[in-house]
Amino acid sequence: MIPTVGFNMRKISKGNVTIKLWDIGGQPRFRSMWERYCRGVNAIVYMVDAADQDKLEASRNELHSLLDKPQLQGIPVLVLGNKRDLQGALDEKELIERMNLSAIQDREICCYSISCKEKENIDITLQWLIQHSKSGR
Amino acid sequence: MPFITLSLLHCGKLTERHTHVYGFLFKFSGGGNPFNNLEKSSVLQEARTFNETPINPRKCGHILTKVLYIINQGESIGTTEATEAFFAMTKLFQSKDPILRRLVYLGIKEMSKIAQDVIIVTSSLMKDMTGKEDQFRGPAIRALCSVTDHSMLQSIERYMKQAIVDKAPGVSSAALVSALHLGKGSQEVIKRWVNEAQEAVNSDNVMVQFHALGLLYYIRKTDKLAVNKLVSKFSKHTLKSPYAYCLLIRIASKLIEEEDAGSDSPMFDFIESCLRHKSEMVIYEAAHAIVQLKNTTAKDLAPAVSVLQLFCSSPKPTLRFAAVRTLNKVAIKHPAAVTACNLDLENLITDVNRSIATLAITTLLKTGNESSVDRLMKQISSFMSEISDEFKIVVVQAIRSLCAKFPRKHNVLMTFLAQMLRDEGGFDYKKEIVDCIIVTIEENPEAKEAGLAHLCEFIEDCEHTVLATKILHLLGKEGPRTPTPSKYIRFIYNRVILENAAVRAAAVSAIAKFGAHCEDLLESCIVLLERCQLDTDDEVRDRATFFVNVLKQQQKALSSAFILNGLQMSVVGLERALHQYTLEPSETEFDMKSVPLATQPLVEQKVRDVPGETPSTRPAQDKVAASRQDVYQEQLAQVPELANLGTLFKSSQPIEVTESETEYYIQCVKHTFSNYVVFQFDCTNTLNDQLLEKVTVEMEPAEGFEVTKYIACPSLPYNKPGTTYTLVRLPAEPTQVTGTFACTLKFLVKDCDPQTGEPDDEGYDDEYVLEDVEVTVADHVQRVMKPNFAASWEEVGPENELEDTYSLSTMTTIEEAIKNIVQYIGLQPCERSDKVPEGKSSHTLYLGGVFRGGHDALVRAKLALDSSGVTMQLTVRSTDPNVSEVLATAVA
Repeated sequence: MIPTVGFNMRKISKGNVTIKLWDIGGQPRFRSMWERYCRGVNAIVYMVDAADQDKLEASRNELHSLLDKPQLQGIPVLVLGNKRDLQGALDEKELIERMNLSAIQDREICCYSISCKEKENIDITLQWLIQHSKSGR
Repeated sequence: MPFITLSLLHCGKLTERHTHVYGFLFKFSGGGNPFNNLEKSSVLQEARTFNETPINPRKCGHILTKVLYIINQGESIGTTEATEAFFAMTKLFQSKDPILRRLVYLGIKEMSKIAQDVIIVTSSLMKDMTGKEDQFRGPAIRALCSVTDHSMLQSIERYMKQAIVDKAPGVSSAALVSALHLGKGSQEVIKRWVNEAQEAVNSDNVMVQFHALGLLYYIRKTDKLAVNKLVSKFSKHTLKSPYAYCLLIRIASKLIEEEDAGSDSPMFDFIESCLRHKSEMVIYEAAHAIVQLKNTTAKDLAPAVSVLQLFCSSPKPTLRFAAVRTLNKVAIKHPAAVTACNLDLENLITDVNRSIATLAITTLLKTGNESSVDRLMKQISSFMSEISDEFKIVVVQAIRSLCAKFPRKHNVLMTFLAQMLRDEGGFDYKKEIVDCIIVTIEENPEAKEAGLAHLCEFIEDCEHTVLATKILHLLGKEGPRTPTPSKYIRFIYNRVILENAAVRAAAVSAIAKFGAHCEDLLESCIVLLERCQLDTDDEVRDRATFFVNVLKQQQKALSSAFILNGLQMSVVGLERALHQYTLEPSETEFDMKSVPLATQPLVEQKVRDVPGETPSTRPAQDKVAASRQDVYQEQLAQVPELANLGTLFKSSQPIEVTESETEYYIQCVKHTFSNYVVFQFDCTNTLNDQLLEKVTVEMEPAEGFEVTKYIACPSLPYNKPGTTYTLVRLPAEPTQVTGTFACTLKFLVKDCDPQTGEPDDEGYDDEYVLEDVEVTVADHVQRVMKPNFAASWEEVGPENELEDTYSLSTMTTIEEAIKNIVQYIGLQPCERSDKVPEGKSSHTLYLGGVFRGGHDALVRAKLALDSSGVTMQLTVRSTDPNVSEVLATAVA
């Protein structure tokens, strides 16, 4: 799997629901551009590698500085801790603590531990997204 | 107005939108471009629509078109604005509308150089270039390559390689051409795509094959051997694409050019074989390549010319045009070869396409004989009014070469030129005519009076200040020497009454020259000039006052120095010297002798442009450029040890003191100062396993000369030029000025690793013998053009005159003798006396210049040819007796 260079737009339809996904690259050179693609969206999904504890602090800082932008006020956030299948991956509680998610008070925030590889908890993630779509409100 | 109808149809519901549409109708009721009068800020404002969801492809497409339009109109967009618009545009990737998507690709390409962070679209474009939609893939590749920087190139490499060998020709071509563009930034990566390019050359598609060959050549361009192999391989392996063939012909002819090879080269055989190709494009390209080659004989040219001859009668106008245009170009160099086509060219004179007809006639003028000139001129004047300025210039250039070729025809030609001057035309066209007349006047004394009369008539109604001043200058120079100078004065004085300040000033200078040269007109000229002293313009008044006062002295020498001979200083040098003077306040007056002299170009007759070749884009020569010597002066002043030598008097041309393909490549330039000569050695070390340090050139001085200083070049690494200087004091005895110096290069060698260039710590001394350097008389004199030699001759006077007679037995012609005298003495031939009229057995050569130290130096050489060689009576005048002696002995 190659990292996203810039962004990728994807449209996923299932039944009556269509989700437009903006997949934005996480490399440092793209971080300043995140905000441009988060303005006016229904939800922000923030995916972290729950097994890579060294990068967690940087990840926390980036998330908080993104959510501090006034333009993004009130947009619901879903934090996903990927790779729960790996040994030593953090669970939801640890993630909430390490990412200091309880400090975010101005919006709805949620955290799931998932595994893309084993397709674990994908269903609840989709459920959350559908709930937060325009028609779901 | 189809545009409006279309909008109405598409609107469908005429509810709230119809007002908008009628607004449109009103706005563009005059027809024309609907994008006229777009304002940048409002267009960029509209671009925010791209952020809205859902996307309206029609509307966004229209806005994006406006953005592209304003960029292409040259509107400059700031980085912030452009970045904003660019990111808004990336949102359009949501829409799959094919028209909108392709507009986005264009938008990305246009904005990739002005917006920031454009790499954001990389992944999206990579998806499109590998996707299913073929019409997206090519444009996506082109857009991707425009946003990719060096650091990202590696990550797209794999996809580019795949795209090059893709089955879809559009995709493959896009990848190949984009690779060429990428190659301008980083050749290294592109080099790794050579296998894919090889595969693409075998494509059945004519464009892919052409583009692939282009890339292969680009990759190997710097390696001559590889290019050679490339051509010989593909000239056997039959290419399908005529475009590829044309490219191969161009590569082959470039190789021939570089190797200075002739028709015996295998490359030439290949080009020659292309003359029998089935595609007309390839045949033409081959013929064009052959006639353009330098070293060709009449035999080599024949097949190419006969192919062009065949094209002359083709029913296709493009082929006729190409053929006659090419024949026109070669007519000057190989008139005999083109003569064979005369019959076909005659037929083209009546061609319905005026461009073809013009080229045909001008070609015939170049190749034809004297008797046909009248007929052709008549024919061409019948449609002069129907052709554009560009082709009129072609006609003028043809006339110019005719004037040189058939001096006796000057009557017909001059009349024709005068007629052209009277007709409408732009500046370039008029300038070309004026230049042509001036050249003819200078070359042909018989045409002088008629030419001057035509020019006088022209300035009576001339809207171009540059041309008017140029002609007035010429009248001032040539008019006084005609049998009836007085008739020109009226034309010149009319300018003073009727024209703008620049022309008035030029007219004043011209009148002064008549006054200085013709005694009987002096009184009248002074009266006219006195009237000019009341002019409203400073410059005109100043000039008039100055000239009146000089003329009233009635001294030949004074008039010669200040009116007839112009400023002899280098303008750039004068500016610099004056600036220096104002920086350092001093009690002493500014010394004109401290200003370097204007250097005369060595070849006075500049090479004429080949007529028909981009006549209007010649660089303007009027601009004052820093001369080579001004550059040297600056360079030497940077060296502290050489800073106090005074004003640089003269710099010689570089002389090679090594063979060009030896270990070290060294050129020597001699700089002459009042009491010193600086030898500048520009050295290049061509050994990649050596580093040279403390490089000097040791000189064995000739008698009387003394080496006072060596300024070493501290380090001379492989292939990086360095400079070392040797300072030599000139002999105290003023007549001793020449000598031969034995030179040896001395240095410390450190061996080093050819790969890394890392030198050893220890080195050893070594030396290398160079060729001798000679200091000649020519190194001590500067060429100065004396426009009126006789006046200058009187000005210097006979006080230090020396005269002697020599027999130049080794010379067989007067031209040869003149060439040698000019070379030895190093002075400037004046009044075109270096050109000998045909068939004369005696001739006088006038040379002018200044000797080191600022002494005027004039030489008159009377030459006569007889059975034993050339006899020369040499007379030298100078303001310094020693200078006369030095010059008189220079030839002996």
